[in-house]
Amino acid sequence: MNGYHSPDEGDTETGKEETAGGKQQRPSKESASRTKAADGAENAVAAAAGGGTPRDRLASNSRTRQRIDSLKKNRPPFPWFGMDIGGTLVKLVYFEPKDITAEEEQEEVENLKSIRKYLTSNVAYGSTGIRDVHLELKDLTLCGRKGNLHFIRFPTQDMPAFIQMGRDKHFSSLHTTLCATGGGAYKFEPDFREMADLQLLKLDELDCLIKGVLYIDSVKFNGHSECYYFENPTDPVQCQKKPYNLENPYPLLLVNIGSGVSILAVYSKDNYKRVTGTSLGGGTFLGLCCLLTGCSTFEEALEMATRGESTTVDKLVRDIYGGDYERFGLPGWAVASSFGNMMCKEKRESICKEDLARATLVTITNNIGSITRMCALNENIDRVVFVGNFLRINTLSMKLLAYAMDYWSKGQLKALFLEHEGYFGSVGALLELLNPT
Amino acid sequence: MAACSRIGGGGHSMDKSITLPPDEIFRNLENAKRFAIDIGGSLTKLAYYSTVQHKVAKVRSFDHTGKETEDEPLYEISVQEEITARLHFIKFENAYIETCLDFVKDHLVNTETKVIKATGGGAHKFKDLLEKKLKLKVDKEDEMSCLIKGCNFVLKNIPHEAFVYVKHAEPEFRFQTTHPDIFPYLLINIGSGVSIVKVESEDKFERIGGSSIGGGTFWGLGALLTKTKRFDELLQLASRGQHTSVDMLVKDIYGGAYGSLGLTGDLIASSFGKSATADKEFSKEDMAKSLLHMISNDIGQLACLYAKLHNLSRVYFGGFFIRGHPVTMHTITYSINFFTKGEVQALFLRHEGYLGAIGAFLKGAEEDNPNQYSWGENYAGSSGLMSVSPDMFPMQRTRSGTFDMLEMDRLERQLVNLPLLLDSSSYIPDTMDLTEDAMAREYWLSCFEEALDGVVKRAVASQPDLQDARERAEKFRLKYRHKLQTLRHQPCAYGSLTVRSLLDTREHCLNEFNFPDPYSQIKQRENDLALRYFQKVVRSVEMLNWEDRQFALVKGLLAGNMFDWGAKAVSDVLETDPAFGFDEAKRQLQERPWLVDSYSKWIERLKIIVE
Repeated sequence: MNGYHSPDEGDTETGKEETAGGKQQRPSKESASRTKAADGAENAVAAAAGGGTPRDRLASNSRTRQRIDSLKKNRPPFPWFGMDIGGTLVKLVYFEPKDITAEEEQEEVENLKSIRKYLTSNVAYGSTGIRDVHLELKDLTLCGRKGNLHFIRFPTQDMPAFIQMGRDKHFSSLHTTLCATGGGAYKFEPDFREMADLQLLKLDELDCLIKGVLYIDSVKFNGHSECYYFENPTDPVQCQKKPYNLENPYPLLLVNIGSGVSILAVYSKDNYKRVTGTSLGGGTFLGLCCLLTGCSTFEEALEMATRGESTTVDKLVRDIYGGDYERFGLPGWAVASSFGNMMCKEKRESICKEDLARATLVTITNNIGSITRMCALNENIDRVVFVGNFLRINTLSMKLLAYAMDYWSKGQLKALFLEHEGYFGSVGALLELLNPT
Repeated sequence: MAACSRIGGGGHSMDKSITLPPDEIFRNLENAKRFAIDIGGSLTKLAYYSTVQHKVAKVRSFDHTGKETEDEPLYEISVQEEITARLHFIKFENAYIETCLDFVKDHLVNTETKVIKATGGGAHKFKDLLEKKLKLKVDKEDEMSCLIKGCNFVLKNIPHEAFVYVKHAEPEFRFQTTHPDIFPYLLINIGSGVSIVKVESEDKFERIGGSSIGGGTFWGLGALLTKTKRFDELLQLASRGQHTSVDMLVKDIYGGAYGSLGLTGDLIASSFGKSATADKEFSKEDMAKSLLHMISNDIGQLACLYAKLHNLSRVYFGGFFIRGHPVTMHTITYSINFFTKGEVQALFLRHEGYLGAIGAFLKGAEEDNPNQYSWGENYAGSSGLMSVSPDMFPMQRTRSGTFDMLEMDRLERQLVNLPLLLDSSSYIPDTMDLTEDAMAREYWLSCFEEALDGVVKRAVASQPDLQDARERAEKFRLKYRHKLQTLRHQPCAYGSLTVRSLLDTREHCLNEFNFPDPYSQIKQRENDLALRYFQKVVRSVEMLNWEDRQFALVKGLLAGNMFDWGAKAVSDVLETDPAFGFDEAKRQLQERPWLVDSYSKWIERLKIIVE
């Protein structure tokens, strides 16, 4: 039980928790109230949510009508959300219908309208929520409705505030199914239920990820290609971003770099396996950067990395052998020991924070590259798609990955990237809402 | 990466001087030749070949006529001087390199030596010093090929060289029985970076991969995060830390396990994942632990991916990151177990620190064909594996780096597996592993300790004409007692502890002080008696009918074995009853059925053959 509820809401709240199969062996007094609440659960919720003003009762009626209307057309009522609650970031996709009829507009619940207006007229929410406007998918047709798909993210740390908002805005009165994936769907499920009276539909994150990738790639990015690669990855001057046609994607190695990393081998739409994963991911980059440089955001860390030089921090092959280690085909520029120069006191004192940030980025990125390459060899797959929010605004890492894949495989492996980097899980969750499997 | 021992950036001052006891550290320098040196970031390993002269007791003029003159022995023993080859390997801190080189120069008599083979990251840095001090030409050898050559050598020649590490188990080391065919294997060398090498035969190996995240990353990043300078200190910090406050675990994201993937809640989802959002300061210990896990898991994962791709199941780990550190052996083992689900075992080597020096030496000693012989670890001259736990023996840990020795003797013959064995790889010659059986260990260690007085007495008596026998015998007593004490504290110091290895150690210690066989005279007397008695026994056996004869032979066999117990039980009997003889021993045999009794079956089979 938490402190978000006023005392007079207590009974109803307790009741809801019990119907969801919560704690047992309650005193008999509470059992009685549970029975009452369970019988008229919907009313009880409405009462708790709306406070019983006439206007809300009206809203309640029209909501019911809308719901029936949606059901007839075999689609869920608005709002349509898909949510992916990761270790560091919450990714939210929201479908804004643009084909709302005048009648619909009139009948639209105040709550729903305000959510739509709030989300679509702002690009930032609170101090940490951000809408990635440049990723917005326009004029998308989903389940017979035309509209725009919005991409929003905020730190998982702020999840309690988000749930609190859901409560304050009486989100539960909208009776939508909240489809959520990612570990947070499990971790925060009790909070959603107990604090905001919301029932989550929990979905497997890897199922959602693959579904999302395949869908977004198929609808294209506002007429452009969603998928791209870097041409001439080993030539820094000639290296260029180019569209890639992922029409025939299988088999495919899908590397999702979030806080940690998951590597999946995808053989068809619904045949895939998780090959392995590593704990050295985006969370490690940011975590180490924070400790080493005192920065506090991903943007800051990346910005420093862009300005830094990793060769002062890392020990290169040429630092040891004076040049290439020819016997083993190792070029002099290859990193022999990440942070290897930092064993030496004098060198520790002579480097700057930017160099440390750059070295951290290079270390994590190269490591993901080499594990990926080994998996590709073991699975006999030659196309790798890198996704996840570690790659957001991180051209440095993408080019490094493209380079590493190409160089160490002697051109056998191709690194591919997707424009909507970290949002595929949430898109998959939204699709599950619209076309339940 | 291949930079296996270039560590630390070499901030050692060269002025540390120590007095070296010549009998203990650089032994047999007067005959030394074929020098090799492996200079790492903090430790130097010196190797040389020498010859040792020692006494050997040999049987001479065996009388085959079988005459029964009472007063003349049937055979004579002569003590001869023999020369055998010995390999010396000494490991010491780089800080002592100058002192050590001076010492070597002062004691070196052999003038044939012109070259010293050198390997390791420091070979370049110390080249001038080596040439100036030793007046030898420095001949550099590739680090990786030295490492592999050394690895092949120890795997072939030292039984119980490889072990798996099991934290909290008793014992923590599980030695592997030597497989007759050591190839192919994977060697993961974790120096400042990581090199992954596939070894297919004596001459064929390939660096199939590597990683830049290695010991240098632990050290460098660890130093930045914790402001702790020394590698050992960082490991100490890590062994006290809790990684869960720094790492983001699966349960931090899921609230529990990720069941559908079988990922448990305690699994690390993101290393250092909590340090971006936590508002508190982390302890040095916790960060060091998290870093250790991150690096060990990463190396383990890559090792597994390479092992899988190349279909290899024997994976040895070495390099300064591993070198006898229980903390890193544990985390690497854990990682390998996790990623291969137990299909691949992480193997470690007792003499891992010497591989480079051994390899460099072998390259320089090809004329002597060291690889054509079998070599045995000399337990008297070798230091053995040091302390298992830095927490339990913090002082020993630091001391182990000071002077550590490995000596190997050339065996008279090339050792091969007994061709009659059904499966030589699964054959274990020792009935009891004293490293695993603590009670048996205690029994046998005490037994050998109590017998020590007697052995010393015998040793003195065996050389009545030599004046210094008593003095040497006392030195032997000290040395062997010290070995027994070491084994009591570290049963795994020389691989699996067995009654055989305790006897070998005693023999090596006796030889060291020139007692080739303290029991030679007793043996001579007893053999004499036995040989005289032999004719009578044969005649009496011949008179029996077939079945009785078989039974008599088997009883004789068992009674004879009673004497061969060699242990306290029999010597006690003999002390109290000097007349105790073969007939008495036969009478002491228990009635059938014996403890293991397949006599009847055996007779049945024999009958078929006879018919």
